Amino acid sequence: MGLHKGNTAQYELRDGSKIAVLGGGPTGSFFSIFALKMAKMMGKEINVTIYEPKDFTKDGPGGCNRCGGIISELLLQTIAVEGITLPDRVVRKGIHSYKLHTNHGTVFIATPAFEKTIATVYRGGGPKGMAGGETESFDNFLLSRAAAEGAIHVPLRIERVESRGKPVLFSQNKEVMEADLVAGCFGVNSTTGKIFEEMGIGYKQPSTSTAAIAELAMTEEAITECFGNSIHLFLIPDKDIKFAAMIPKGQFVTLCILGEDLSPSIVREFLERTLVKSVLPSSYSIECSCLPRMNSGAARRPFADRVVICGDAGSTRLFKDGLGGAYLMGKAAAKAAVFQGVGEADFRREYYPVYKSIIYDNLYGSFLYAVIGQYRRWKYLTKAMIEVVRKEQRDTDNTEKILSNILWDMFTGNERYKNVFLKSLKVRMHIDMWEGLFKSLLRRDDAER
Amino acid sequence: MLKGELGRNYTDGEIIFREGEKGEVMYAIQSGKVKITRVTSSGETTIATLQPGDIFGEMALFDRLPRSANAVALGDARVLSIDKKKLFTTINRDPTLVFKILEAMSHRIRSLNEELAKLRDAKAKVVKVCPDMKATCGMILDQAKEFVKAENGSLMLLDDREKKLVIMAAFGSDRVEKAHLSEGYGIAGDVLKTGMAELINCVSSDRRFVRSPIEIGSMLCIPLKCDQHIQGVINMSHSSENHFSLEDLSIMNSLAFYASLALQNAKNFASLRKATDGVLIHATLLNEYAAEVD
Ligand SMILES: Cc1cc2nc3c(=O)[nH]c(=O)nc-3n(C[C@H](O)[C@H](O)[C@H](O)COP(=O)(O)OP(=O)(O)OC[C@H]3O[C@@H](n4cnc5c(N)ncnc54)[C@H](O)[C@@H]3O)c2cc1C
Repeated sequence: MGLHKGNTAQYELRDGSKIAVLGGGPTGSFFSIFALKMAKMMGKEINVTIYEPKDFTKDGPGGCNRCGGIISELLLQTIAVEGITLPDRVVRKGIHSYKLHTNHGTVFIATPAFEKTIATVYRGGGPKGMAGGETESFDNFLLSRAAAEGAIHVPLRIERVESRGKPVLFSQNKEVMEADLVAGCFGVNSTTGKIFEEMGIGYKQPSTSTAAIAELAMTEEAITECFGNSIHLFLIPDKDIKFAAMIPKGQFVTLCILGEDLSPSIVREFLERTLVKSVLPSSYSIECSCLPRMNSGAARRPFADRVVICGDAGSTRLFKDGLGGAYLMGKAAAKAAVFQGVGEADFRREYYPVYKSIIYDNLYGSFLYAVIGQYRRWKYLTKAMIEVVRKEQRDTDNTEKILSNILWDMFTGNERYKNVFLKSLKVRMHIDMWEGLFKSLLRRDDAER
Repeated sequence: MLKGELGRNYTDGEIIFREGEKGEVMYAIQSGKVKITRVTSSGETTIATLQPGDIFGEMALFDRLPRSANAVALGDARVLSIDKKKLFTTINRDPTLVFKILEAMSHRIRSLNEELAKLRDAKAKVVKVCPDMKATCGMILDQAKEFVKAENGSLMLLDDREKKLVIMAAFGSDRVEKAHLSEGYGIAGDVLKTGMAELINCVSSDRRFVRSPIEIGSMLCIPLKCDQHIQGVINMSHSSENHFSLEDLSIMNSLAFYASLALQNAKNFASLRKATDGVLIHATLLNEYAAEVD
């Protein structure tokens, strides 16, 4: 592997070609669904086997690929057009708005007509004791869709991949398959990346940071009263925390804290803050918490002859809409394999541009988060921002609502970062911001006097 | 209980979009059903009935013309809207996104083609000027039998003078039923009054149902309308419940349109013949009288 350059017939998928998918999370399932769909369109009968040891119907950490579980508006709409509509049993709550909390005020941004365009889901069976019943996890739903397209799910963990012209997969020290293509969709929360690094194809795992997740149990009435159909975001001046979100789901609220290498005590510390307490009901309990790894940079060389690596194991959208990234990359890799071939050159031509576009877009993202970081840190900037958004929300004739839209797109992952950046260049917004800043400074002067 | 969450709720009969409106979004059905209707000179016609997972409203996005039909919630429905600008930006990045839309459109064109071919055939057979009313009714019912699978069927016409429905043609157990129903009596009588086609999935629980020795689980009852004048009804029934589909209802509605024309033709022809016969008799009598006088 890694020896052949250029597209030759040997890299074309044919009837009977075998694809091994390592990991049945969203990326693995999206890859499999599209590879099978597209192969059918081309009149090819390929075999797709998904290796995934987790049982996504199980409750507790064993069945869960830990994440906030927000399905962005963009992803929901796109997969609906693809014919994948999320059934009610998968959606834990429909979201129509965001509430942004800062130490200097709160703003509320909603969709037009309060249409619930964002979904919250569980990736596994949910917190302990929740399994069964009428609900289904997002990962299980997607894996079942892949199986319905014809993929075979094998509940094994792959421990070694050897290159013998074609990749050969091993589990429990036994050879399980010689594949025409291996799709590495193993995320960043296992040691599998090492297996691929050791293959000598030049792959280098992405950089990661630690995030924190906790499930807060409370009554449904409390959730309706305190959260409604809104995701609550916290922008607070804390050097460790970039931002935090509380995501309502049935009888639980998922707390997600993103920052730089967080420690286990972060959840309790966060919940002790006055601002946070003012949002929560008086009675709730922490059902579980974890510190998953989060992709924070792109992997090097995510493809070679007969190998493609996608989803979190490659690159993903910075801080947002990782599941949207899983869809984009899973589909792009499937398209390359079916329509072009499984050689390095095929992936370079068809897959790499999508991969790179995510990396470039994240550069705009980093810049925007840096700006938001400043807003978070400087009281008067925070106040000015709140002032402008409030004004935009009050003004029903103002259809542009630039800053509200920017914040919405940033936090919902609804728009590429580049487009958000371009929106932020609009002069009107800057005039409003200066006006807001001026007003909050004036108020300070008044107060001081 | 699971509460439906995503999208926007529409109650039964609520309009999602109207014919002639500008189309800025397309839709995906999350739950419930949506019917696509058009208003024609003979009333509202349902073109399609869509199910969860189906997409609709995409035509106006692609041809940039006003909406070509109405979309109405059939029962409570929940629908997710998909913004045109975002959709096209995504398609621009990944043109394979239109595969599914193309597939849905091809499906629709294919079933329209099939329906059109069937109707052309039916029209050719049925709209022939046929002088005999009973023969015309028989022909219409034969055609209906080809369109939907039913165990029993009948075509009843309204006797304007007696205000009664009279069976003109029948098959299956309906053949032995010699009932003459009064207007407004039973399901058929009701359809005659309202002029609305009905699909009844469970006949026994319909309070208008008039008990009969024949075992009927489900039925279709379609009015025969011509220029808003209702001439009669076609009944198709089956012993099992939930036997007929909304597609059956739709194709029978289309057939009923041509059938009404054919019946009107037959009626016109019959009265024309009566009139000519009258004239002929008069002429003969006059002739004879003239001969006698001579
Ligand atoms: C704190 C946090 C919050 C987040 N919140 C959101 C959010 O709200 N919305 C959003 O869109 N994204 C969110 N993300 C990002 C999102 O979780 C990821 O982008 C997404 O899970 C990536 O999917 P994946 O399939 O690539 O990887 P994963 O979901 O990690 O799945 C990888 C799968 O591979 C399997 N696997 C690993 N090794 C092997 C092996 N050797 N053999 C077989 N199988 C193997 C694992 O069991 C696992 O099931 C969040 C991430 C974090 C850390």
